[in-house]
Amino acid sequence: MRNLSRLMLARIAFRSFFLQSSWNYRGMMSMGFLYAISPALDQIHQSTHAREGAYLRHLEYFNTNPYFSSIVMGVTLALEERLSRGEIGEDIIHDTKEGLMTACAAVGDGLFWDSWRPFIAVAALTFAFGNYLMTPLIFLALYNLPHLYFRFAGVYWGYREGTHVIRSLRGFRFPQIRQNLRYGTMIMLAYLIPNHVNLHTPYLLTNLPLEYFYFGEKVVQGIGALFLVTLGTIAYRARIDVLMISFLLMVCALVFFHWGILI
Amino acid sequence: MDEHLSSSLLIALIGGIVDLDSTATWQFMISQPIVAAPLTGLFLGNIFGEAAAGLKLGLMVGTILQLLWIEQLPLGMNVPPDAALASVLSVALGFIAGRSYETYAEREVCYTVALLFSVAMGLLGRSLDMFVRRVNTNLDAWVCQRVEDNQLWSVAVGHTLGGFLTFSKAFIFCFLVVWLGVEPLKYFTQTLSLKHSSGFIVVQGLLPAIGFSVLASMVLKNRQEVRVFIIAIVIFTFLPAKIWLGIGAALLYMWRKSAEGGSGA
Repeated sequence: MRNLSRLMLARIAFRSFFLQSSWNYRGMMSMGFLYAISPALDQIHQSTHAREGAYLRHLEYFNTNPYFSSIVMGVTLALEERLSRGEIGEDIIHDTKEGLMTACAAVGDGLFWDSWRPFIAVAALTFAFGNYLMTPLIFLALYNLPHLYFRFAGVYWGYREGTHVIRSLRGFRFPQIRQNLRYGTMIMLAYLIPNHVNLHTPYLLTNLPLEYFYFGEKVVQGIGALFLVTLGTIAYRARIDVLMISFLLMVCALVFFHWGILI
Repeated sequence: MDEHLSSSLLIALIGGIVDLDSTATWQFMISQPIVAAPLTGLFLGNIFGEAAAGLKLGLMVGTILQLLWIEQLPLGMNVPPDAALASVLSVALGFIAGRSYETYAEREVCYTVALLFSVAMGLLGRSLDMFVRRVNTNLDAWVCQRVEDNQLWSVAVGHTLGGFLTFSKAFIFCFLVVWLGVEPLKYFTQTLSLKHSSGFIVVQGLLPAIGFSVLASMVLKNRQEVRVFIIAIVIFTFLPAKIWLGIGAALLYMWRKSAEGGSGA
């Protein structure tokens, strides 16, 4: 039997927005996790002793993807209810929470940090390079659609389905979604590279008839950008720091500018 | 109130709110440079009656910083450079200091110098983040002790204090950098001779290539994808630079790959 109301679950989802406020090197997100579920714990455990035990239980180490954390919260609360009825032991809660937070971290980090954020960032950059002033709003609106969905729906699924929630998550086919997002990022990147690396040389102006100038500029820019990105990719894969690569590029650009090769 | 003081306070407030979003709370991604920088430009521009100019500067800065630190993620113990603070400070310093210059070239140089300075501030911001996390560890020990004594209210207090610390750190840091940093930035920009400093505009145009390289490293997994990628670059070199062309091609390719995957399964 489930006793927590929809309003209480919405309150927990809302509190999960503050999950990492007190991120620390011991419990990581533990205090945030406990803060989020504490109103429900207070309702589930009536006696002071049981409540104190529950609080101490959830001050243990906790770390997962913040957007998927509400799923873990829902499952944990379903288990806490069963514990209060004496159906399970504390160790079940501990083990389930640990397994679920690892699974949610893997799925959530892969989906949001590794695929969705780069995809939306590249889409937003496409608009930003085109000087669309609404770019930040486009970025925020698109990025937060799945974020808010998982935040709010996650706590309901977790609470309703308990440990079976993993089966529901499998239905999303996350690997395919991630692969498609990667393909989309790749093509938008291919569009950005020849169009938005600004590389100009004075030789075209002096040597090319004016009617071919625009075409010549585009070709030089495309080839130059591809060359630069290839060099940058090799350097990055050789584990050279991004700031060091930027610094080297800056020095080279200033030298070429000084010699009159770039303008 | 003095105009410089009021704009420094506004930037400090924006910095505090935006920095909260980067890891501590919400994570709506207003802390991403592509959002944080235009937001700062818009608010600051409003104060000086140049909202559109501020927004445009914000977009330019946001684009470069977004690309520069696109792979940096706050995962587990990893504390990335503070891109949110770097974005806010870059726009604030560039906009306020740049207003004293007459020509386009001088202003662009000022923006680029502010950007480079703010990247360094982003790295300093990372150290401050780590300091806050260490203070939070002490807070955590305090909360554990209190809960063992059945003082359950300490969880809400400790947790809120953690968020307050993050906000205060960003607020004070942004305020001091903007309040004290504008004059030295102006002085430094003036010491550069325009002939040589115009090279910074060339640098600004080439910097996106770094972010593109990082992204390419992230998305390209095998030789076949590298081939498709290079062919796509060649095609886009000859096609006109239309946004909908890039986005349309990406969606089409995703749909095609998805259909291939579906039929193969």
